[in-house]
Amino acid sequence: MKRLAAALCLSALCLWADGHGPAFGFSTATLGAGDSSAGTAMMWRSGVVMLSPYFSYGITGNVQISISSPFHLNHGEHPVGRFTGLMPGDPEMEVLAAWRFHHSLTGIGTRNESTLYLGTSVSTQLPPRTDGPALRRAPGFYMAAATGHISRRYYVWAGAGYERYASLGVDHPSNSLLGSLVLGWRPAFLNKEDPASDCRFFWETTGEDVAHAWRSAAAPAGAGHHGVPAPLPTANSSGIIVLPNSGGRGVYSGPSLLYTHGNLAFQLGAQIAAWRDPNGIQPAERFRVVAGVSYFFPGRRR
Amino acid sequence: MTRWTRNALRGLMLILLLRGTKPAHAEYMRIHLRVYGLDCGVCARGVSASIGRLAGVEGVKVNLQSGMLDITLARGNRLKLSDLRKRVRENGFRSLEATVTAIGRFSGSGFEVLGSGESYAVGRASQSGASDPVELTFHVR
Repeated sequence: MKRLAAALCLSALCLWADGHGPAFGFSTATLGAGDSSAGTAMMWRSGVVMLSPYFSYGITGNVQISISSPFHLNHGEHPVGRFTGLMPGDPEMEVLAAWRFHHSLTGIGTRNESTLYLGTSVSTQLPPRTDGPALRRAPGFYMAAATGHISRRYYVWAGAGYERYASLGVDHPSNSLLGSLVLGWRPAFLNKEDPASDCRFFWETTGEDVAHAWRSAAAPAGAGHHGVPAPLPTANSSGIIVLPNSGGRGVYSGPSLLYTHGNLAFQLGAQIAAWRDPNGIQPAERFRVVAGVSYFFPGRRR
Repeated sequence: MTRWTRNALRGLMLILLLRGTKPAHAEYMRIHLRVYGLDCGVCARGVSASIGRLAGVEGVKVNLQSGMLDITLARGNRLKLSDLRKRVRENGFRSLEATVTAIGRFSGSGFEVLGSGESYAVGRASQSGASDPVELTFHVR
């Protein structure tokens, strides 16, 4: 039933990103003033299946606001950290503002640009955990920056972001640091004029450093959703229990593809773990996939 | 029909005539505008749609290889070149040189596009010395 709902959402929403960027890493493009795009992406990792509808709107030629609300279709295990540079990895509603503060147009089809992202999020679902009851959520805050070179032939983007959750004396999901390097290429035979279809290939490498999550010692005890008894709580002097089997570091790398036709954009990407160092004992997250579709709405200004 | 009614009708006709008089129009006819930074079809569509919605624009073609916008304008339009440049800027790109075909008058050392308030320095060789409106194609940096 959930998968049917996902398929329906995918076909009904038919919408993602601004049609410019990579699937996992950071990019810099923003929409034109009055332009908007909407879409959805299906994401899979470590048994978690997420659907992430989003909407973006260009306020000026360099300022964009986006709202996304990924939610779990299948909880699976509980990986942490952001799924992509511009999309939360947990079920949250996130408002993200982008400001392209540096914009150097250097030639025909060529530009260098840098963008700053600021976002805030609130939890929309509390996924069950195997090491105890679901973590209650505090608001999250996100800051990221990306810089890149864009041309008709090659793309290079590098970026980093940090997401931090307010503690508020309750449970605390993992803060996370994410970095990415994206190399893109449009083969010469695909370098065609609109309205011909456009196709770009990317190789995306992302690295993440995810801190331990913790729960308040005052949280109700309980078992995880697999029936595994919760470990005996050992609160530290601050009254919190650091979850040993949470967080870690990893580097993921893999190809992605962006295909646009008219106002529609389709995206597909996969990454494999090049290096993983999870804290404690956690399910292996060796592979992650994202598939998205989006629709671009040109502005209606007169 | 009383005198008062006749006068009222005449007044009404005068008002309608005055309202029907067209104000001075800009006479840009065609503009080739080079734009920096356009890398993909989605960018092209955004710029094209944004300019295409300006009153007086009949058509916009984008060539991504040359970065050139080919903008065809309706007769009697009131568009200014600065309006087009503003739209390009609002889409996050930069416009550069343009090749403009317009109707205007030579005034002093410049060529004034009729009704637009925009004038351009053009080469002396292009000036016929006539003060009547002429159609001219010229380059703008």
